[in-house]
Amino acid sequence: MKLELARCIKLHEDKVWSLDFSRGLLASGSTDRRTKIVSIKPEAQVTLVDELDDSTHSKSVRSVAWRPGTSILATGSFDTTVSIWTREETEEGEEYDSEEDEASREYSNSNHDNKYVMELLAIIEGHENEVKSVAWSYDGSLLATCARDKSVWIWETDEIGEEYECISVLQEHSQDVKNVVWHPSLPILASSSYDDTIRIWTDYDDDWECSAVLNGHKGTVWSSDFEKSNNNSNIRLCSGSDDCTVRVWKKLNKGEVGTSVKGTDDINDGNANEEEDEEEENDIYDNDDKWICEAILPQEHTRSIYSVSWGPNGMIASAGSDGKLVIYHEVEDKNEKNKMRWEVLCIKELIHGIYECNIVKWIDVEGELLLATGGDDGYVNLWKLI
Amino acid sequence: MSDYLNENPDVLETNQLPTREEDDELNNYLSNGIQNKNGLERRKLLLKMDRSLESQVLKDVELLDRLLLLNSITESTSDEESDENLKSLTQSTHLIQDTIDPIDAQEIYDLTAYIQDPEHPLTLGQLSIVNLEDIQVHDTGNQKEMAEVVIHITPTITHCSLATLIGLGIRVRLERALPPRFRITILLKKGTHQSENQVNKQLNDKERVTAACENEQLLNVVSNMLSTCK
Repeated sequence: MKLELARCIKLHEDKVWSLDFSRGLLASGSTDRRTKIVSIKPEAQVTLVDELDDSTHSKSVRSVAWRPGTSILATGSFDTTVSIWTREETEEGEEYDSEEDEASREYSNSNHDNKYVMELLAIIEGHENEVKSVAWSYDGSLLATCARDKSVWIWETDEIGEEYECISVLQEHSQDVKNVVWHPSLPILASSSYDDTIRIWTDYDDDWECSAVLNGHKGTVWSSDFEKSNNNSNIRLCSGSDDCTVRVWKKLNKGEVGTSVKGTDDINDGNANEEEDEEEENDIYDNDDKWICEAILPQEHTRSIYSVSWGPNGMIASAGSDGKLVIYHEVEDKNEKNKMRWEVLCIKELIHGIYECNIVKWIDVEGELLLATGGDDGYVNLWKLI
Repeated sequence: MSDYLNENPDVLETNQLPTREEDDELNNYLSNGIQNKNGLERRKLLLKMDRSLESQVLKDVELLDRLLLLNSITESTSDEESDENLKSLTQSTHLIQDTIDPIDAQEIYDLTAYIQDPEHPLTLGQLSIVNLEDIQVHDTGNQKEMAEVVIHITPTITHCSLATLIGLGIRVRLERALPPRFRITILLKKGTHQSENQVNKQLNDKERVTAACENEQLLNVVSNMLSTCK
């Protein structure tokens, strides 16, 4: 298999930091302080549909996230704020399709051909400095934000998405929190940090607590992503780091805990001390879950990995400073039955020319799976796996 | 400022800083022509380094010969002959166009050594914070390939709280001056600072650097440091 460029779109004047795709719309955030929305149709047909009011954020837009199943978008900025946007004429309870029909009819009467106007709904303040990532829980009821101030905040909101109440401030990371990501179907949050760790947060009777610390990376963890699996007894997470590795972490179920330690030792052979530290740290929590580093993926990157994405097809994509896009898949081990191992499926170099790539995401365009990447060149590129 | 962090740094005079000497050598070589014994020696040396007939070095030497030939001919002989020479010259130039101008350590040094220290009215070169031998460049000159610069800086004292700022100044200077194919790594020289790892991590964190460049106060300080650059 190989990766083929399906479309490249010059959307921004500076670094593209973040992309999020939902219901046919791709949002992008950049250091040029703008947030743009393009519609993507099959055959990688791309149309710019809206540009958010650029006076809202006075610094880089670092992160964008669609609230699941809605036309609400959250954007987090280096100016310390998070802004919430909604499509102007969205009516509650209306189906997306009919909504679009109505909207296009409406717009063909006015002069906004193909336009899709997003209105500012709310601005959330609270972080002390640069907001680095925003993410909605699977049911859209919670918004997580994180910043250089070392904290992760969890906000609760109503259906309209106008009011935000902070229900938890998680301050256990010792350095900047780079990224937050929710499990696709459970209330579990993972945060990655400049302190080289990933923390897993779980809701215990309306109290958010750290249920595990994933130690192993030897540098800033830039990004993580949960496996998109329907099997909720098998929870896995992948992560990418400054140390040029992608790791896969697995939550152990109660019965597996006994056998787990051996697996961990196998992988981190020679780092016995660190493993001990981890054990101690984990023991602080009453409600702790056991996680192991299940695999370190074949190392192809030569510089920092800024983004990882676990696709609905089970494949992991990674991209970063070296401009490479690497796709990994899990195959059965030839030597050992029932044992799976990760292999590189394909690699594409210079995906944004000589520029760095900051974000990679699997996107499902009406059943066709593509990869979207954003680079320092201000481009958003779409890739097809053929 | 009355109390410096480092009251008494070692200082080099500006004329002691390393500069590009090859320029003189090259002029010498060109003016004396290809018959010059020195020139022939150099040529032999170059060929020894890279024996293949198709080698870039050989082509470059050939090109240089033609250039010299052309120079002397236009002054003394007919147009016809020089036209032909010019044509073949253009062809050769075309061949090497993609890799025309790799950037070397001296260039990086020239870009960074004249940055002013945030504390002293002296440059980073004069204070030996930036040193030519601590600059590594990997560049083929091809604009379609990534290239890399690694600089190790030497703070004047091991607890210098300004090390991060100096590093940021160097990074901003290089990001502005170098072509975008360059990945820049700035590190403290081993053993020169108490919080070596922390400073290194911060200086090479893309997100923090981007955020720092959006901080007006910080950017003003950096601009001041860069105002002494050539």
